[in-house]
Amino acid sequence: MWLISKLRQAKVALTPGVVTLKYPYEAKPVPKNFRGAPAWDHHKCIGCGGCANHCPARTILIRDVCKDVRIMVYDGSRCTYCGRCRDVCPEDAIEMSKEFELATPNKADLDVNMELFMLTCQRCGRCYDMERTNHIDHLDLRGYRYDDLESRAVIRKTSDTFDTELLKETENYKRPDKIGG
Amino acid sequence: MNKVYSKKQDLIQKIRQVSGESIENFEITDDNRIYIDHKADAVKGIACALRDEGARYLVGTASDTIDKDNCLSMIHSFAFDKEGFIVNMRTKVDADNPVMDSITPDVYGAGWSEREFQDLLGMKFTGHPNPKRLILADDWPEGIYPLRKEVPHNLVPPGAEDVAFQLDNPPEGTSVIPVGPFHSSLHEPEHFAVYVDGETIKGCEYRGFMTHRGIEKLCQTQVTYNEIPYIAERICGICGSVHATAYSQAVEEAAGIEVPRRAEYLRTIMLEIERLHSHLLWLGVAGHLIGYDTVFMHAWRVREDIMWLCEKITGNRKTYGMIIIGGARQDIDDALQGDILTSLAKVEKEVMALHKAIEKDSIVHKRTVDVGWISKKTAIDWSLVGPVARARGVDIDVRRDHPYAAYDDMLFDVPVLDGGDVWSTLVVRILEMYESVSIIRQCLKRMPDGPILTETSEELPAFKHGISVVEAPRGESVHYMITGDEPRPERWRVRAPTYPNLQAVPDMLLNNEFADFPIIVGSIDPCFSCTDRVIKVDMKNAHKGSSLTSGSGATVLTNRDLENMSRSKGK
Amino acid sequence: MEIAYLFINILIFLLLTPLLDGVVRRITARLQSRQGPPITQGYYDILKLFGKQTLFSSPYWSFKFAPILAFASIISVIAFLPMGGKATILTPYGDIVTIIYLLTLGGVSVLIGAISSRNPYAMMGASREMVTMVMVEPVLAMSLIVAAMKYKVLTVPLTAMTTAASFSWTAIPMALLYLVALQAFVGRQPFDIAEAEIELLEGPFIEFSGPSLGLYKYYMMLKQFFYSLLFVILFIPLPLTGLYAIDVLFQCGIAILMVGLIAVVGATNPRLRIDQATKIYAVLVVLSLGVAGLSAAGF
Repeated sequence: MWLISKLRQAKVALTPGVVTLKYPYEAKPVPKNFRGAPAWDHHKCIGCGGCANHCPARTILIRDVCKDVRIMVYDGSRCTYCGRCRDVCPEDAIEMSKEFELATPNKADLDVNMELFMLTCQRCGRCYDMERTNHIDHLDLRGYRYDDLESRAVIRKTSDTFDTELLKETENYKRPDKIGG
Repeated sequence: MNKVYSKKQDLIQKIRQVSGESIENFEITDDNRIYIDHKADAVKGIACALRDEGARYLVGTASDTIDKDNCLSMIHSFAFDKEGFIVNMRTKVDADNPVMDSITPDVYGAGWSEREFQDLLGMKFTGHPNPKRLILADDWPEGIYPLRKEVPHNLVPPGAEDVAFQLDNPPEGTSVIPVGPFHSSLHEPEHFAVYVDGETIKGCEYRGFMTHRGIEKLCQTQVTYNEIPYIAERICGICGSVHATAYSQAVEEAAGIEVPRRAEYLRTIMLEIERLHSHLLWLGVAGHLIGYDTVFMHAWRVREDIMWLCEKITGNRKTYGMIIIGGARQDIDDALQGDILTSLAKVEKEVMALHKAIEKDSIVHKRTVDVGWISKKTAIDWSLVGPVARARGVDIDVRRDHPYAAYDDMLFDVPVLDGGDVWSTLVVRILEMYESVSIIRQCLKRMPDGPILTETSEELPAFKHGISVVEAPRGESVHYMITGDEPRPERWRVRAPTYPNLQAVPDMLLNNEFADFPIIVGSIDPCFSCTDRVIKVDMKNAHKGSSLTSGSGATVLTNRDLENMSRSKGK
Repeated sequence: MEIAYLFINILIFLLLTPLLDGVVRRITARLQSRQGPPITQGYYDILKLFGKQTLFSSPYWSFKFAPILAFASIISVIAFLPMGGKATILTPYGDIVTIIYLLTLGGVSVLIGAISSRNPYAMMGASREMVTMVMVEPVLAMSLIVAAMKYKVLTVPLTAMTTAASFSWTAIPMALLYLVALQAFVGRQPFDIAEAEIELLEGPFIEFSGPSLGLYKYYMMLKQFFYSLLFVILFIPLPLTGLYAIDVLFQCGIAILMVGLIAVVGATNPRLRIDQATKIYAVLVVLSLGVAGLSAAGF
């Protein structure tokens, strides 16, 4: 009857206590395969454009500025976090991060811009990205020179093959006091 | 099985008798679908014959085939629930004079489908009792039919001020109370003009489709097959998986794709979890609508557990992204299975506590018993679906009658009650929750190993028809699919369960008090975003009086943005 | 001294009631397993409303005047109320009829405001409020009349009807009836029909904004505490300490408990329809007439 219903309701109402989470004062971690904003690893990206082709929201854009440079723009303001880009990427360069606190008054904060330096395959003529960390190496590969005219120095190879351990040893070399001595 | 076969043969005999010369072809497929190709003049005869045999109207689909044979085709679909097959009547009319008979006077459920195609394709249905504008905005110019292929998907005609929908005149002695488009009892914008006499409701007129987004047109022109499940999921916030499943199943049926068994089990699990989620949400909303906020808060507290569970399984609290053409996208490992069972046990306990607490509360009964009563006959006439129909004694459930996914292996009851009022819908939904828990447990126990996805290329055979029905928490969703020669559907028709249910709301409201208006509308569990989704070409802000000059660009509409592709579509 | 009592009355009411609104919301929230707003939220709400702009959506002067009338009526009746067993300077000038009149004036001002806002939802809310007032005020009137019968005068009773010195048996059933009707007096579930948010979008108050709405909200809060305090004054005997401060604290404490009771009952019930509520009110009216009759017969 009505009174017993009320007592049962009181039990339902009072048993759980206060369930309000203290977010945002206490962080609430997200589970393992949470789909947050996508994050690109530019070391692994080969510039194939698969993510741009398969994004249902049409929010990943690609422009080939010239034969050598491909720009990829991810416009985060329209992304639906479906994860399809991650599914189709052949190099596993995209990871759906755990970022979900993405509110911002400036839409540009959510953008990801990647500029990829592409080479052309000699056999088929299509672009691909060859990972070098250094622009001067890029130029060197194409047969261009970039000497340091300002300090009158010739630059052949870059310092990414520089051995810092060897340099340390040179500090212990004893220099001769005088010529011939 | 023999009984079903002979019923099919009997049916074909009867239809041949009714309109023999007008029938061009019968096609019976293995998936329990019958396609009848017939001439347009026989549509009323065949529809009445099907209705007399006990069929239930599902959906009307019309499409534009002007580029092939200068015709507009129209397909009416009926379902035979006891026998478990679906009959589709296919016909076409000349595009220069697209006039057909309306079957609405005999089959009420076809009313809105026919009005929709009057708006969107320019077809004319003679004899329709209420041929008013349904979908398009009131200032949409005549002669532009958005679903026709000649009309681009992002067309923005210039708006007009001071054009209002012509509501019917209120009956004698009543005044009009406008409910909507903004009202605290409605979740989405729609307009009910309620005619009241004091506090008693004497009638109601509905004007909806204000959040019409143009999904069908978009998916027929811009995106490819594999991208559509993600869009289908966003037709509705709560029945996302349902639409993704129904679409995938329709494509799989049309193109003949086999889905691995484990994927079907995964689909079943996600669908039932969604049903739990939706019914808990509805329970809270129903409590809120009768002024009982405590039920609201507690039902949604229980629902939160399900959302956390889904976040663990799929990566998102809603819009799971799990179901794609050919199977499922992610697997459930043993740790996750353990999590599911723990959460289910907790949810079941809490639902039982809630159920016992409000079951005998006389004040809740005062607000819901004998409120919104309609008879079983009315429910059948309007082709109501879902818990709304099951609360009136109509024993239909697509999971049992036309089994899909893994439901043919599951043992479950379908709760059917006779009360006919809002309280019965509440009890039906709570009982369905217990059944959902049981189905998920059965799935987890019996799930076979194996692959979860059949990779499909996007080159599917062209112009094949498929229809799939899925039991959403609100009722039955129907998707009709015609594959196309590009890697996208030629025609995709979505009919959400609220579509037929809304048509019966004026009957439910009659002679009830105005105070019961929110709970009666709430009792059909309206999902207006599901209902509105059809074709449209822009008009996202269909507020009356907003002037959109063509090419103004001032209003940012999602379809227009979607058009921005630097790479050409598909292959 | 009596002037001081007058101002103490008004100060206690004005300062304490928004806090009680916060208490009610906190209790409701705890029953709903959530945290709820801070207890001082009532103050913030009123301050915020007074800082906003009023949109005068209706051209009638009564639209501007009605909230002021409501607030004025409730402050006036507070001025008559004898807290702590001590009469204020105005108490001898009024009697129980004044109290009934001023409370009804408050309700009527809500009606005036609603009708002058020319909104169909406000009209419906106003008609429900009218029905409620007509059917539920008799219970209040009967409670006061029972007191009048006991003391044989119409003046505002300074002592409760249940003191050891002068115990009145009919006070007990009257108290029970008053408690049941209390939810209707203050407009909370199951009887918050007039301003049902879901159906009527706040009903009579829908067109008001800014300070006008602030005055109405303050009026509702004051009314809630007033009815609880009236119950205490009529039916709960004072501790015989003789100290004014202790008496006032005692009465306020019990009134606060009653407000808590209002909150609990409000959170655990759905809202009734007006036709269902009128049946309950009719029963209450008949019973309270019966009790008044008994008290007239000398019990």
